[in-house]
Amino acid sequence: MENIKEKIKTVMIAVFEVSPEKITENCSPDTIESWDSLKHLNLVLALEEEFDIRIPDEEVGNLNNFRNIEMIVKECKK
Amino acid sequence: MENLKYADILQLNKVMRNNIKGNPYRITFLSNITITSVKEILEYVLRINKINPIVEFGNYDNIVQDSSKCNESNLVIIFYNLRTVVESLNCFFEDISEQMYNDLKNRILSELDIIFNNLENTPSVIFNLFSLLDITSSNLRKSKIEFLVSTLNEYVSEKKTLNFNLVNTDKIISQNGITYSIDNRLFFSSKALFTLTFFKSYVSVIEPVILRNTGRLKKAIIFDCDNTLWKGILGEDGFEKIDMSRTSNTGRIFNSIQFIAAYLNKRGVIIGLCSKNNESDVSEVLMNHPDMILKDNFITIKKINWSDKVSNLKEIASDLNIGLDSLVFVDDSNFEINLINEQLPDVITLQVPVNLYEYPDHLLKLVYKYFNFSGINEDAQKTEIYKQQFFRESEKKKYNTIEEFLASLKISVSISINNENLIPRIAQLTQKTNQFNLTTKRYTENQILTFMKSSCDQVFALSVKDKFGDSGLTGVCILCTNRNDKSNVIIDTFLMSCRIIGRNIEYAFFDRIVKWLNNNQFLSISSEFIPTKKNEQVEHIYEGLGFKSLGNNIDSKKYLISVQDYKMKSIEYITVEE
Repeated sequence: MENIKEKIKTVMIAVFEVSPEKITENCSPDTIESWDSLKHLNLVLALEEEFDIRIPDEEVGNLNNFRNIEMIVKECKK
Repeated sequence: MENLKYADILQLNKVMRNNIKGNPYRITFLSNITITSVKEILEYVLRINKINPIVEFGNYDNIVQDSSKCNESNLVIIFYNLRTVVESLNCFFEDISEQMYNDLKNRILSELDIIFNNLENTPSVIFNLFSLLDITSSNLRKSKIEFLVSTLNEYVSEKKTLNFNLVNTDKIISQNGITYSIDNRLFFSSKALFTLTFFKSYVSVIEPVILRNTGRLKKAIIFDCDNTLWKGILGEDGFEKIDMSRTSNTGRIFNSIQFIAAYLNKRGVIIGLCSKNNESDVSEVLMNHPDMILKDNFITIKKINWSDKVSNLKEIASDLNIGLDSLVFVDDSNFEINLINEQLPDVITLQVPVNLYEYPDHLLKLVYKYFNFSGINEDAQKTEIYKQQFFRESEKKKYNTIEEFLASLKISVSISINNENLIPRIAQLTQKTNQFNLTTKRYTENQILTFMKSSCDQVFALSVKDKFGDSGLTGVCILCTNRNDKSNVIIDTFLMSCRIIGRNIEYAFFDRIVKWLNNNQFLSISSEFIPTKKNEQVEHIYEGLGFKSLGNNIDSKKYLISVQDYKMKSIEYITVEE
């Protein structure tokens, strides 16, 4: 399970181009400056590719902080 | 690249961004759908090729408007998607009235006219043909949308300007399948139609256009022999048992490879052999084997010996007078491929795949990526020309002085000015010439046309013949009138193909150019030498022609000469035809 957290973190570091410290359990578009709607799209695509999942349309907008992302990714992996 | 994950591409990009500097290559995307995720993928591929990319996007759904703002772009890429258009109509498309259909069609056609007009002077444009793969339609009945797509594509194919490259996205979608290429869910929420998988394939498809525009195409393919051009090892299996026959399952694969290589040679690609074998054994096969297609007349250079392939490839590059980065090397052996990858990283390698039936496809994909067949006459005669070069070199040993030797060649040159028929070859020379090139500016055919059409600029083209043969169009000089001082001309480009170096032809060329300048009331000539890794040998050409140096910085040396101070070299043994 820890593996999922690490992978999400790696993806987010790559997509937002930030240093690892910025990806905390509470990070969100409010704490990460580069997190705009276009980067959000890249985040969705990168997460789907990394975990080989398909995130339902309704959930795409809910990927707005680390905890939610982790929850949604785990849901989709089932 | 298609095997890399997006997150990996993003990370690699971050690292390479700091290392790949140099003249930026500016790409502008114009589209009516959201395609921003292609940016990182395109940047990555450009950086892998050591090109420094600047990728920008026009405003969403402003293709026509933004097409007038692309003056600084080297390349414009247009994604004009019909589904967004269709969905914005006030009806279900198949139910559209004739009036509305015609209005829509004509509106798009006039938009296309404006786009062609606005981008006329852009060096290079990539336009995706209209597609209906993302629109559900009947497989069995022709639909109205299908009519629209074919009409629009016909119009584009007919009316497009010289600088347009058309991409068939349907082929790309077929490769990966619609499900893996199109994302209806993200299209619905953010108009992001295409998947990362699609974009990775798309970038691979357009990569050759960029390589061509930036002079990074290759010139030669060097093949190993055993298990590369035929099945089996000549030294072990013998003449009788090696297989390249059309009638055997494995043999016919190698037969295809040989046909492809012969075709490439006819279109100007240099084909060479590099094999660890006895020379006589291989010659026997080339000359006498009944199934051999790739015979001597298609092969420009051979290194058949027991030396290591690193030395052999280095010799091949030097014999042909081209860089190692102009070579592609094909071999079946893990050892040889790894050796070359390690020791000669500039050489592109292709290993014969384990699944032999994939071999011809892999070769073709590589060829379409790294070579450009422009169908120009000089290309087809290239092997002949390289062979003529060998004869010339051997003649050299007979004469006492170089001048005597050069005189014996009976060189004659002809120079044409602003001849539009020569555009393809002129553009090709600017893209490929590295050594005798004073400023190394790469131009597309469209850019050359622009120079020719402008009353302030002149494009001189030099063709050379001697008693051994016709080298063809091998020199280019582009002059631009100084916009601030109409009596001064600037030499934007001065290059000669390496085939004709060392015969003082540059002096005959320059004499003629100065004569023209004199007749056209120019008083002074400005010029520049921009150093690169490959053009060291021409560093002092302008000093040799009598120019005064105006001082250097790291990037270039500038020069000036007044036309009346120029002393004609008048090389007697070179005839200049008018």
